[in-house]
Amino acid sequence: MAHQAHAYHMVDPSPWPLTGAIAALLMTSGLAIWFHFHSTVLMTLGLILLLLTMYQWWRDIIREGTFQGHHTPPVQKGLRYGMILFITSEVFFFLGFFWAFYHSSLAPTPELGGCWPPTGITPLDPFEVPLLNTAVLLASGVTVTWAHHSIMEGERKQAIQSLTLTILLGLYFTALQATEYYEAPFTIADGVYGSTFFVATGFHGLHVIIGSTFLAVCLLRQVQYHFTSEHHFGFEAAAWYWHFVDVVWLFLYVSIYWWGS
Amino acid sequence: SPTIFFATPTKLVSESNAPVEYMGANKVPDLQRIFQASEEIPVHLKRGVSDRLLYRTTMALTVGGALYCLVALYIAAQPKNK
Repeated sequence: MAHQAHAYHMVDPSPWPLTGAIAALLMTSGLAIWFHFHSTVLMTLGLILLLLTMYQWWRDIIREGTFQGHHTPPVQKGLRYGMILFITSEVFFFLGFFWAFYHSSLAPTPELGGCWPPTGITPLDPFEVPLLNTAVLLASGVTVTWAHHSIMEGERKQAIQSLTLTILLGLYFTALQATEYYEAPFTIADGVYGSTFFVATGFHGLHVIIGSTFLAVCLLRQVQYHFTSEHHFGFEAAAWYWHFVDVVWLFLYVSIYWWGS
Repeated sequence: SPTIFFATPTKLVSESNAPVEYMGANKVPDLQRIFQASEEIPVHLKRGVSDRLLYRTTMALTVGGALYCLVALYIAAQPKNK
């Protein structure tokens, strides 16, 4: 039986890149078919395929790392680089929307009344729910750090409790933001103010949901004894992502909610 | 006559040798054994029936979906008759 003479991971052949690519095809074509022919079948099929791909692909990575021991230090280093690069790409994604916001708000056109917020727009009070949201996310940053230290110190019960608390805070943020969206006196269709507000905060909210889901998967894994005090990169990746989501909110709060009001 | 017990002394958790279970027992060693078994089965099928079922469903949706997509795009590309 051949054994590798290096510490890297040569993965088994996998069907998930193909199914993921087809899912992307189906979702994009499905979007076009929905717009022009009013049928959501293709798009829904694409979404289902995406979920199946994500579930099986990440399940396989957990099998390869936790159960088969393939995540040696060099492999883990590669995974760390990967997560950092991915988060960096997301930073640039948000940078674009901040650029759009500042482009329109630093030099408001005559059509807007030459002022920001534009004439007719009543912005949300930054010291009401948005301030609470800021406190909620900052608190969740503390609880996720508590969870990390608990894992490193082998404190199983505390890790489970602090991780659960982090997820609950994330869900609380999402619920608060949803009510804000419902109650807001302006919509996405209200000129460039509405566009920049809802696209920037909307994508942020999506990332909060993604981050909460990632943390929830980590909670499940922590309960099932996957993490050791020395090796718990999945959790670290989730914590990095969560801190990134928190920082984006701080920029949103200061720029759009506070300066922009 | 033998001593009569009315109650056994309180047993402290710290005195027992069994590890205290909090939210389930550790099944990772068993899973490690399953996944490190030497048969040349790829990791996405290594748990047997449930893996195969999920894989085949996903693949069926992939192939079927791709064909459906091509047909839908072909139809969408037809010029509209006035």
